[in-house]
Amino acid sequence: MTQEMQIESYLTALRFNLGPISIADREEIVREISSHIRDSAEKPGTSLASVLAGLGPADKLASQYRDGLLIHQASRSNSPLVLLRGSLRLATKGIFGTGVFFVGLIGYLMGGGLVLCAFIKPILPANTGVWFDGGGHFMSSGVLFPPPGSSAHEVLGIWFIPISLTLGSLTLLFTTWAIRTALHVSQTWQSKL
Amino acid sequence: MANIRATPVEGDQPDRWEAQLRKGALEMAALASLWRGSLYGLEIIRFLESHSRLVLAEGTIYPILNRLKAEGMLTSEWVEAEAGHPRKYYSLTDAGRGRLRLMAEAWASFSQGLSELLEPVMEMKESKQ
Repeated sequence: MTQEMQIESYLTALRFNLGPISIADREEIVREISSHIRDSAEKPGTSLASVLAGLGPADKLASQYRDGLLIHQASRSNSPLVLLRGSLRLATKGIFGTGVFFVGLIGYLMGGGLVLCAFIKPILPANTGVWFDGGGHFMSSGVLFPPPGSSAHEVLGIWFIPISLTLGSLTLLFTTWAIRTALHVSQTWQSKL
Repeated sequence: MANIRATPVEGDQPDRWEAQLRKGALEMAALASLWRGSLYGLEIIRFLESHSRLVLAEGTIYPILNRLKAEGMLTSEWVEAEAGHPRKYYSLTDAGRGRLRLMAEAWASFSQGLSELLEPVMEMKESKQ
């Protein structure tokens, strides 16, 4: 294999592994690494193999680009999907990231569930609500099939809708804020002692 | 100038600790290398090697530069070079200069505090020698 073929092979692997990054950014990265390889290999006494070894395997180099950009983009996003993807990437780096991912997942499921319940209430009023038994003890809440028996009474009535909507929205907002803060903190940790 | 490379000590993990230390300082070092003007990736690597004790894998610096650019700390432009291929030159933005100043102040305060803390340890080391 000629030197040029080795370089092209490395760059092709890099381009392939940069997958989720936009085409323009991907090409810019490949162009810069190509320039680095050619500059380094021109130095007398330097072999192409040592230059490529210095860069590390193409998939690992691509992974460093992907991690940095994904976490950076997620830390500025409001999209639950992007934030969860960013926190999932962070989860691959340690316990802190794993905690952030699961807190985010649970937060979005709870918040989304509460908002969904608020929309279901007008459609299935008998099945949706917060129920207490005759003794005033909490029994259940949410959407139940079948609805609780006659011994239980639903306490919120139509107020279930605004309360569930508010709590759900606040949970979603708090979860978004928490993940973004955690991603910011993780970036700071990467950049400072 | 000696490189920061630890001699492994039995029962300890100095290599790992130093790797974390270097990684943590790398962003600040990359920004600092651009304080006096534009450089391209390989120049930044060589600058860090010659002006600091940081020895880094070449593949480490590019993703950091890419992220710093995405964060608005750096700008870049492609410049045609005599070598026959263009090079990507990085420069600090105002935000980058601001962040570097803050990092430098924090670093100076942090390292001064640690130096004072470690002074007796270093004195003991010197007296043994």
